[in-house]
Amino acid sequence: MSNPTSPTLAAVVAEPVEKGNSLWHDAWLRLRKNKLAVFGMVTIAVVTVACVAGPWMASYGYEQQDLMNTFAPPNAQHWLGTDQLGRDLLVRLLFGGRVSLGVGLAATFVALTIGVTYGAVSGFFGGKLDALMMRTVDIIYSLPFAIFVILLMVFFGRNIVLLFVAIGAVEWLTMARIVRSQVMAVKKMEFIEAARAIGFGRRRIIFRHILPNILGPIIVYTALTIPGVMMLESFLSFLGLGVQPPMSSWGVLIKDGAEKMEEYHWLLVYPAALFSLTLLSLNFVGDGLRDALDVRSSKD
Amino acid sequence: MLRRHLTLLLLLLGALFTAGCGKSKKPTATTGAATGGVPQIWHVGNGSEPQDLDPQAITGVPEHKLMMALFEGLATEDPQDLHPVPGLAESWDISTDGKVYTFHLRRNGQWSDGSPLTADDCLQSYKRMITPEFASEYAYLIYDYVVGAKEYYDRKLADFAQVGFKVIDEHTLQVTLKNPAPYLMGIIASHYAWTPVPVKVIAKYGPIDRKRTGWTRLGRLVSSGPFQLKEWAPNQKIVVSRNPHYWDAANVKLDEIHFYAVEDNATEERMFRTGQLHKTNTMPSAKIDVYRRDLPESLRIEPYLGVYFYRCNVNRPPLNDKRVRKALALAIDRESIVQKVSRGGQTPAYAVSYPGTSGYMPRAKLTGTIEDAKRLLAEAGFPGGKGFPKVELLYNTSESHRAIAEAIQQMWKRNLNIDITLFNQEWKVYLDSQHTTNFTLQRSGWVADYVDPHVFLEIWVSGNGNNDTNWKNPAYDALFQQALAAKSVEARYALYQQMDEILVDECPVIPIYHYTSVYALSPKVKGYYPTLLDNHPYKYIWIE
Repeated sequence: MSNPTSPTLAAVVAEPVEKGNSLWHDAWLRLRKNKLAVFGMVTIAVVTVACVAGPWMASYGYEQQDLMNTFAPPNAQHWLGTDQLGRDLLVRLLFGGRVSLGVGLAATFVALTIGVTYGAVSGFFGGKLDALMMRTVDIIYSLPFAIFVILLMVFFGRNIVLLFVAIGAVEWLTMARIVRSQVMAVKKMEFIEAARAIGFGRRRIIFRHILPNILGPIIVYTALTIPGVMMLESFLSFLGLGVQPPMSSWGVLIKDGAEKMEEYHWLLVYPAALFSLTLLSLNFVGDGLRDALDVRSSKD
Repeated sequence: MLRRHLTLLLLLLGALFTAGCGKSKKPTATTGAATGGVPQIWHVGNGSEPQDLDPQAITGVPEHKLMMALFEGLATEDPQDLHPVPGLAESWDISTDGKVYTFHLRRNGQWSDGSPLTADDCLQSYKRMITPEFASEYAYLIYDYVVGAKEYYDRKLADFAQVGFKVIDEHTLQVTLKNPAPYLMGIIASHYAWTPVPVKVIAKYGPIDRKRTGWTRLGRLVSSGPFQLKEWAPNQKIVVSRNPHYWDAANVKLDEIHFYAVEDNATEERMFRTGQLHKTNTMPSAKIDVYRRDLPESLRIEPYLGVYFYRCNVNRPPLNDKRVRKALALAIDRESIVQKVSRGGQTPAYAVSYPGTSGYMPRAKLTGTIEDAKRLLAEAGFPGGKGFPKVELLYNTSESHRAIAEAIQQMWKRNLNIDITLFNQEWKVYLDSQHTTNFTLQRSGWVADYVDPHVFLEIWVSGNGNNDTNWKNPAYDALFQQALAAKSVEARYALYQQMDEILVDECPVIPIYHYTSVYALSPKVKGYYPTLLDNHPYKYIWIE
């Protein structure tokens, strides 16, 4: 290193070779080039921050009523107007966002955990175990969702945590199938043979060698599950099986607004707009992730 | 091979499809008997899917509307003021002491299957009604009046022959009462508890003294009223068509009535505006002002004898303490609720009885300030709402009930610092919870079955099938028995005043407002008059 004009062997070795881009770095670059996906990510970040921080900063509680000020159109005190009981729509919207986004994330997490483990085990072992596990999935698939939730409500009472669990308990099925098929493809590759030859245990092979190689489809599907779950929550709240009053969620607000849309349009317009925007954004991000991570589809 | 199978499959599907079409087309052909050509069909929103179509096993208003089409009592109602007019009985005599009623049934009276309707049918119906095993919620409308009926209902009397029903001949029925009851003819005309049922048909499909045996299903149900059951699509609609065997069939103007089970009042209102309904059951409170402005000719707001209240289960803590019930009752701002939430011209209720029912004005009044409510709650052991257990308020699925419940939930939170959770159930489940008192606090209402103050007070007597609060009060029961035997209207009303006082003091129910009937009615509907009970005898109605 003392004489830069005459490079020694040591220097050649020490000097970094052109840094190879990792798969993740490549994916990130591709994702950043996707304008819609970036727009989606920014929107989700803004909505999340607003929903988390907003209700703390507001001067009204989400359940605080003012019967002298019902159905007020958007104005300086109530930026998005008030509802039938004089509650501030903006606060209810942000508070409802917590519930809706919370359900989306929590249920997706449940789905992810169960689905990936179940699918990986089923796909890796194959044979009779696989058949048994997949038929179980088929059976759960065939249960009508609404009836399943109603049964849960009857047995365990109405409670919002249960709602998360119920949705998660249904959403993992598709995830399990996707993971299984991916695992089946990967497990026949040489590097798995190699890992086996070295004598690694099954658990280590599944979680250290197979799963990292199928992360792409898992991430994509997860991103697309969140909006699906939020739709389900709205649907359940719409049916009166979801959150109970005076709690709000986007589904509740939209149902309420739809009943009164002719006269009090703001009750429908704002919740529906925010809900659609969030769903669209989540779908954009999911699409972007698929393009970025799934090398085969993006390079042709 | 595959292709051949496919073709076969398609052929099969096609055959099935056409067969299906052929089948579904048939029943839509109707005879426009009254108008020559265009069938007269009345489309009406009816709230919930009915619990049943058995007149002796129901309690709700949606069921009542169907009963008025399918069945008829010995007397029936005048379309304008609901006074009793001849129904299945062409006339009746009342003895001078007011205790013996003799009904003369029509000689040509028939059930909708063409079989004769006799005095024995009536007798057997009333026997079924007061059979203890059958446990009809409305049995008291018979056993409070008829000699021996209470004893029979309480199993103290085994021989039905000693109960005050007697068949004189095939078309004459005699009823003997314990005391004269000037309003009894009103009950008989207006209420399905006194409706004869086709006992011979019921016996065909199961034990006669059991509810829900399935005899009311399509194809089995035999009725006696102006209409008969034609179609029953659960949770969608019930179609009734004119009953050719009805004694007054020539004067029935409508060919069919379609009762739609739409619980969601916003959907119902939309159906009305798109012309799918001629009449709605209710009106979303947010729409009332819109109708006042844009469709005043369709908006109906009429007095309606009924009270909207929250029912307490007095066996469950903390509502077993009357101070808690009273505190809850005092901490509601009723004026705000009727003006800002229900918005249909309802009047705040500070007592159970509807003011002015047949000239009776309850003097009892819930009085007290928020401070009194707080003090009562503290005395009951919950100072400042501390330690108040989780109480659930049950309501039947409806946007308007939810809005009122949310408003009251907030009032209780603000005034008493207690948390109430809300939950809703679908109509049948909700009624089941009510009758099994499987609730702590329940939204409910009591709509008069006939026009007399008696109707708001009789159900709180212990053991009454519609009490549903577990509340028992010996003093109240004693006053009630005295009222049944009262010699004059003044004496009777004086007793009612004391009963209302007890109700306000004990608060087994928390009155909220007195109803008005708010709904939309198409101006095309004729022969329809506002009435206090919201009963509109269908045979006088026609569509222009």
